[in-house]
Order: sequence, then structure tokens, then C-alpha cells
Amino acid sequence: MEPKTGKAGDWRNYERVLLPKVKDLHLLEVYEANGGYKALREILTNDKWDPTAVTNEVKKSGLKGRGGAGFPTGLKWSFMPPINPDIPRYLCCNGDESEPGTFKDRQLLEYNPHAVFEGMLIASYAMSLAGSYLYIRGEYADWITHMEGELKKAYAKGYIGKDIMGSGFSTELYIHKGAGAYICGEESSLMNSLEGKRAYPRVKPPFPAQKGIWGYPTTINNVETLAAVPEIINRGGEWFAGIGAPTHAGPVLYGISGHVNRPGVYEYPTGMLISDLIYEVAGGIRGGKKLKALVPGGSSTPVLRADMIDGVTMDADSLREAGSMMGTSGMLVMDEDTDMVSFLRRITHFYHHESCGQCTPCREGTGWLENIVTRIDEGEGNLRDLDLLIDLCSEMEGRTVCALADAAAWPVRYTIDRFRDEFEAKCKASLVPSGVELTEATA
Amino acid sequence: MATVTIDGQTFEFEGRPRLLQFCLENGIEVPHFCYHPAMSAPANCRQCLVEVGTPEMDRETRKPRLDDDGNPIIRYFPKLQTSCTMEITDGMVVKSHRSSETVERAQKDTLEMLLINHPLDCPICDQAGHCPLQIQAYKYGPEGSRFEFEKVNKPKQIPLGPEVMLDGERCINCTRCVRFTNEISKSHQLTIIERGVRNYPMTPPGITFDDPYSMNVIDICPVGALTSRDSRFKARIWEMSKTPSITTGGANGNNCYYWVKDNQIMKVTPRDNPEVNEYWLPDAERLDYKRFNEDRLQGPAVGGVASSWEAAYDAAASLMKEAGKGRVAFLGSAYATVEDNYLLTRLADALGSSTPTFIPHVENGRGDDWLMTDDRTPNRDGCERLGMSPETGALATRIENGEVDVLYVLEDDPVAAGILTAEQLAGVKVILHAYNTTNETLPAATVSLPAATVVETVGTFVNQKGHAQRVRPAKSIKGMNRTLMMEVGKSRADLHGTPFDRWHNESNLVDCQPGWVSLPAVAKRLGQGMDYRGPKYIMREIAESVSAFSGATYDAMGDQGVRLEDVGAAV
Repeated sequence: MEPKTGKAGDWRNYERVLLPKVKDLHLLEVYEANGGYKALREILTNDKWDPTAVTNEVKKSGLKGRGGAGFPTGLKWSFMPPINPDIPRYLCCNGDESEPGTFKDRQLLEYNPHAVFEGMLIASYAMSLAGSYLYIRGEYADWITHMEGELKKAYAKGYIGKDIMGSGFSTELYIHKGAGAYICGEESSLMNSLEGKRAYPRVKPPFPAQKGIWGYPTTINNVETLAAVPEIINRGGEWFAGIGAPTHAGPVLYGISGHVNRPGVYEYPTGMLISDLIYEVAGGIRGGKKLKALVPGGSSTPVLRADMIDGVTMDADSLREAGSMMGTSGMLVMDEDTDMVSFLRRITHFYHHESCGQCTPCREGTGWLENIVTRIDEGEGNLRDLDLLIDLCSEMEGRTVCALADAAAWPVRYTIDRFRDEFEAKCKASLVPSGVELTEATA
Repeated sequence: MATVTIDGQTFEFEGRPRLLQFCLENGIEVPHFCYHPAMSAPANCRQCLVEVGTPEMDRETRKPRLDDDGNPIIRYFPKLQTSCTMEITDGMVVKSHRSSETVERAQKDTLEMLLINHPLDCPICDQAGHCPLQIQAYKYGPEGSRFEFEKVNKPKQIPLGPEVMLDGERCINCTRCVRFTNEISKSHQLTIIERGVRNYPMTPPGITFDDPYSMNVIDICPVGALTSRDSRFKARIWEMSKTPSITTGGANGNNCYYWVKDNQIMKVTPRDNPEVNEYWLPDAERLDYKRFNEDRLQGPAVGGVASSWEAAYDAAASLMKEAGKGRVAFLGSAYATVEDNYLLTRLADALGSSTPTFIPHVENGRGDDWLMTDDRTPNRDGCERLGMSPETGALATRIENGEVDVLYVLEDDPVAAGILTAEQLAGVKVILHAYNTTNETLPAATVSLPAATVVETVGTFVNQKGHAQRVRPAKSIKGMNRTLMMEVGKSRADLHGTPFDRWHNESNLVDCQPGWVSLPAVAKRLGQGMDYRGPKYIMREIAESVSAFSGATYDAMGDQGVRLEDVGAAV
């Protein structure tokens, strides 16, 4: 059991760095006035920062990807093959956030876009890239428009383009607008979409670092991951590594939604107690009700019952122990009145709607799952449907090109596993052997 | 040499082959849908999943770690792997459905998933009987379905283009058709539209699927989603016999199967031949079969009056006997076989006539540097190898000058070709071997001898690259002989078609004869012995006597034909 205090230290006095309390920070002038592009200037003008040194600093910080998988960022950067002047290489910043319960990148794109640009530029320098793409989901149209304006300003100021700050380093940055498909957030699918192709995920290997955008070496990082990079340079990797949970360090944006009094995106260190996030940060459960369930990191991460979160903190290790995942730290909070069957019905509908249809198990399975869960929700299901659902999850998990099938199957598997009584109660009683009376205990 | 163990059996391999391809080449069946050897492997059907393990390597010695019994320790991938994309490495251990219950279960699961939204309308589907989904569902699939919901509805009976009809519901989204237009024909006319379970292939807005190779997607479609607008609903696959042969609409000699029901050609599909046409066939050559069924010339005629074959041979022989020496002109044919043209040259030689010429049929711009050629004849190279030259107008001049009494035309149409006019032929006796009643030289013919077409004869064609290939009879004619009967029996993949089997059918028989029957019959009446036991023996004589055909025996040609250079023929 984790200590009840969590790993976030004195979080009540935490000073925000990703979304600092600065008015109009989305404007270049304001960003500059508050230390913006200082990190970029530092690495480009100070000789101690060769590309390897930058990568090493990020490695030292312990920064793990904030897009869901939590892969160490510095290590990912070092997977890029040795530089070959004939072979272009790319960075892509993944801003296609679209998993239900996840809305934290949007805050960065809206309130601190230059931190994202600066992070991308530093990463471009660290990996010696001639260009990078910022792929943003099309639904974020307003912020895309705004960011395109800010990008122009940054170009005009010489932060991006040829011979940046007289350093001899040149790189380009493009904003690309998605067209509204969840699957485009999958990195290889995103690359196909970026190339103008149908967004089907690619078979791996080859991995993006070998064959990515246009067939060239590519690194793909999440928006929040890259936005954290400038402060790692400014304050040092050790500073970053000292924040929050030791094995999953740094500040993180918690997107808290659902039945809480103050839903929203909150920046705090990793390793926060879930209970602190719900009851203090988000102001407790709406209407003073009791907590029933929590999805910690976006809809695909396994749901936790209220009795499972005692002492659990928001970092990979603690959540794994508790039986779930950190994901995107987009928390869905559900109160005691929530119908878990109905909840699962909505989740299965989402994955059915968003399966790209490339692989058989996912294309066919996601719809089948929704069919069955819907039937149960409408009181027409049978008890054997529950076993069938679990069986279908096994038919889908790990058998497809990308992880969407897993993402669709896990909520089904774990919601049934952890709330089976609710599902059984909604099933038709006809299959219960005669003579057995349905009581609360057996239903 | 590097080895891989598949289901306990060890194989040697070279290079870095892909597992599924390697299995197929070694006769190990692994069920699959989306993989096609000529195209990229998207691994989307998930049917070819297998368990794969590799030896655990010692980092320092770079040698496999051994267990207590001295066997390499195998570390298996935690997930099942798609064999279509898996590269084989040394020491790899593979378990297919034969040795792994997990794999067997996974294959059953995938088939269950594939079938839940499939309409299962096999009784009315043209693909039934040769449908990979149907076959593999019976072989590897579950016994029933646990799916109890309404299936997804998608567009049906949608013409994608002039030749291909789409049934979206039958589609299993293997993307073979899309990849064909992207990677093989490069027309980029198909894509998958919609998302998830509603996916199906479609042309982009405003585009018609008029790719000249569009019908290949019908063959590679592993279900009945793409069917031929020309042949669908006309015959079930089990009602037809298929005969390996070649198409004769061009000079490439594309390998094909002729599908026959009731002695009618129902459709033409490609036959794999890496040397000639790989897996593909142009639409034009697939649709070029109606001439075998329709407007056929039935029975010989003398002076426009129907006669017996014997009477027609007699009439032809006496016409030539009456003509002065060297006053019979012979026109060979690049549509006819090497054997028939050879017999014609022998006859011309015996009568003291000059070597036959042949009519070139060239349509500029028709060729595409792939399987279509400007030359519309299948045997120009074969004619030239026999020493025949293309007709350039000399024949017309000779007729105009009154140097010709009798014109002997083998399987061609000089009037339609514009080589000779009806007026020029008015003063000449014409002996004509013809296929169809549409032959424009027919009205000028004194003796007409209906000729067997490529689907009714035995013989050899030489394509534009000097590749000699055999044709075999796909259907019966009225005057079947022992050789034809044996060839039908031997060649048709189902071994049906002789009068002794239950598929034998007397309907639609054409009263015609192959050149290697009618030419010797005429020659015999002129005192020229041409006693061959069949085309095989004619070809053996050609191989021995004509240097450009040295080594070109039927045995050497086999099923895939042979490059004449490779068997020692002079170029």
C-alpha cells in the first residue's frame, strides 16, 4: 500500500510551469516577456549544448511520454539512426488527442502554444532534424487558426527557419490539421494521415525511427511531452526528476471530468493521491455523493472501483499495482448513481465508431461488443452474454496491427470483471435455473 | 545453412524470406486472405497468425543459449505473429495450427469475426465453390456463429466500372483490389471508403473503374465482393471445366484458363506464369471469347453450297490440281498454330509454289509495354521462324497480273484486312479455312473449310519474346478425333469432357476441323503424304528440321512454355 500522503510532496504550494498563471501567454510577446524561447537561445548559443547533451539532459529528467504509453522520451530520441545528410528525418508532435476523458493537450495548444513550438525546436536540434510537424485534431479548429498566426510571428522573429539566432541551425515547423478520426492519434496512422493517405496504422516493424513520415526516420512525441522540454533545459533535468513520483517524474496535466464539483485540467506533480485529486483539487463529488468508479487515464485504461483507489497515486507503478494504467491522466470520475452498464455502452460505442476497420478482430469485434452491451443495457441480455463478451475480448486483444483493439477490449473486460453484479442484475433472469430466487446477493 | 523449424519439421532457407511465402512454397498450408505474393503485405486479415519463437542469444558469445539437454532455448513472442510479414531468421521455431492450439483457436476466432457481417449468401454467389472465405471457413472456422444481431448493411450491386460489380456486404476488407490498382496497374482507381465495419472499396468521386486491367481484382478478391459483370450468374464454378491455355488476342501469349460449360466458353481467367504474364490478364483478352461461341462457321461448303468434308477436300484438291505449277498462292496465318502453318509451307513447297506469306494485324497504340501489344496476332514470331514473311502487297500484284489461279487462305481474312478486294478475288478460286461466318473473304470462297479455334485445337504459338507455348482443346467439336479426345482428357483440369464421363455434352458442337486434320486430308488427295499421329509429332518434326525451333518439343514446353533460345533454337 502506498503511503497516504502520495508522492507529490508539497503539492498545495506547487508552482505551475506548463500552464503558468500568466495572462495572455498564448501571445508571442507575452511568452517572450516571461522567459519564452530562452531555452532555445541557450542551447543554440551556448557551446556546451551539443545535440547529444540536450538528449542526455532530457534522459536525466526522467521525462516519460504523456500520450498514454509512458515511454522514456530521451531514450526515444536516441533511437534515431545516425545522421546521414542524404536522408531527411522528422519530428511529429502528436496533438490528435481524442480519447474520451482526455482534454489536456488542448489547454496547452490554447494557452501556451509557444512552449509546444519551443519544445519541438529543441527536440529538432537534439535530433538534428530539418523539419517537424505539429498534427492537431481538426476539431481544435479555433486554436489551430490562432497557432498558425503565432507560428508566423515566431518565424518572423527568427525562432524558426533558416540559421536560427545565427547558430547555423535551420529547421522548419508545420502545423497539420487532422480531419476527425481517433485512429489518427495512433502514431503510424498519424503518419499516413499526414502523408495524405487513409489513416490505417502501419505494420511494425519497421518502427517510426527506422521508417516514418515519407519513409524516413521519425520521432513522434505528445504535445505535453514536448511542452515540458523547455523548462527541462531552463531548470535542468535534475529539477524535473525531483518533481513527483521518482519513477514517473515531472509535472503533469490531470484532466478531471465526470461527477466532480470542479472538472478541469489541473497541473500538479505526478504521484498525486487519487483521493486528493478528486476531493481537494476537483472539489469532491457532485452533490456530496459517494465515489463509485474511476477511470484514471482515458477511456481505454481499466476502470477502478472506489474501494481500489485507497492510497493509489497517479504514476505508472502505483496504478499498475492497483490494476490500471496512467494513460493520458484523463480521469473519469463516476458517483454512486452511475450505471456501469450504461457507461460501458457509451465506451463501446466510441470504439465501434472509431475502429478504422483495417484488421478483422477490431473491425468486427468492436461492433459486436457494442451490440451485446447495448442489449444488456436495454434489459434484453442473457447471463451468457457476459462470458461471450469476455471471450470476444480475448479474441481481440493483441491480435491487431495497432492497439485500438486492446483499447476497446480492456474497458469491457475490466468493467465486467469489477462490476459484474451490475451487469448480471441487468441481464434477463430467464437463464437463472428455476428454484433459485434472485436476491440482492445473487443477482 | 540457416534453418527454420515449422511444426517440428526443419527446413533450410537462404536470404530473408517471409514466413508465409516460404510456407506456401514448401507446401505448408497457412490460411490467409489479404496476402498476395505480388503485392505488399498489410497484415490486415489476421488469418495467418502463428506462434513464433527465436533462440535466446548469449550477448557475449553471440551463440544460442542451450538448455540442459543441449537444445537451444527458444523464446516465443508474447503475441501471435502474422506470418505474411514475419521475416525468417536462423533457428526460428514456428508453430502453426497443426501444432499449436492457440493458433488453431486464433484462426477460428478470426473466421468467426469475418463471418459475422458477411451475408453468407453463398447459394447465389458466383464465388461459391472457389471462394477462399468459404473454403477456409469450412476448414478452419467455427461450426456455428454466436452472433445474434442484425448484420451491417452496405451498398450492393454497385457497378464500379464497365466490367466489375461490387457487393459491399461480402467484402472482408483485405484491400487486395486497392493494392492492385495502387501497386500493379497503377491506375489508383480504388480506395477503401467509410470507416470500421462499414468499410468497402469504392472509386473516388467522379472516377469510373475503367482500368484496362480492372478484372484482375475479381480473381484476387478472396470473396464474392467483386464479380464480373460479363460472366456473373451465367455458370456455377462446378458446372464448368477449366483448361490451361493461352489467350490469342495479342502477341504476348498471356497464360489463361478457358472455362467451359456445354461446349461454350463462359469466361477467361489468368493462369500464373512468371515468365509471361505473372498473375494478370488484361480485360480485353478476357472478354475476347465470344468469337469462340458465336457466328461460328458450321460445316464445309463448295461453291457456297454445304457439302460433306470429303467432298470439300476433293474439291479443294482438284482446284489445285487444275492450276498450273506455281499458280497456287498460299496465305498462312499468324492466328494459326506453328504446326498448321508448317503443314501449309510443306504443301506449298510440294506444289512448287512460293513460301506462304502471312497478314500482319497491327493496331498502333493498343500496346502498353505490359501485357497488351500493338500486334493483335498470337503467332507472328512463330510464322517468321518458319521462314514466312509478312504480306506487303506482292500477292495483290500477282493476282492483278493474272499469275494466280488458286488462293489458299489458312485461318485469316484478307478482304477484311484490306490486303485483297472482293473484285481482285473474283477471278481467283479461293480455298478458305475460316472460324466465323463474319469472315469477309467467305463470299469469295470456292471451298470453305471451317477451322477449329484456339479453344478446340492442339498446337503451338510463339509470343513476341520467342516464348513457345502449347494450347489445348478446352471444348469438343463435332468431328472429334482420337488425338483431340486424348488431349481434352489430359488437359482439362477436371479430367472431364470425353464421351465417357457424365459431363460430356453434345450441345453447341461446332462442325469444324483443326488445320492439322484438314490440311493433310487435302494434301493426301494431291499425292502428298502427310501422315502424322498428331500435332505433337508435327512439332517434333519441326524441332528437328527447322533450326529456329530446335529443341521445341511438347515435353520441353510443358505447362509454362519455353523460351526457344533456352532450348537451343536459332534466334
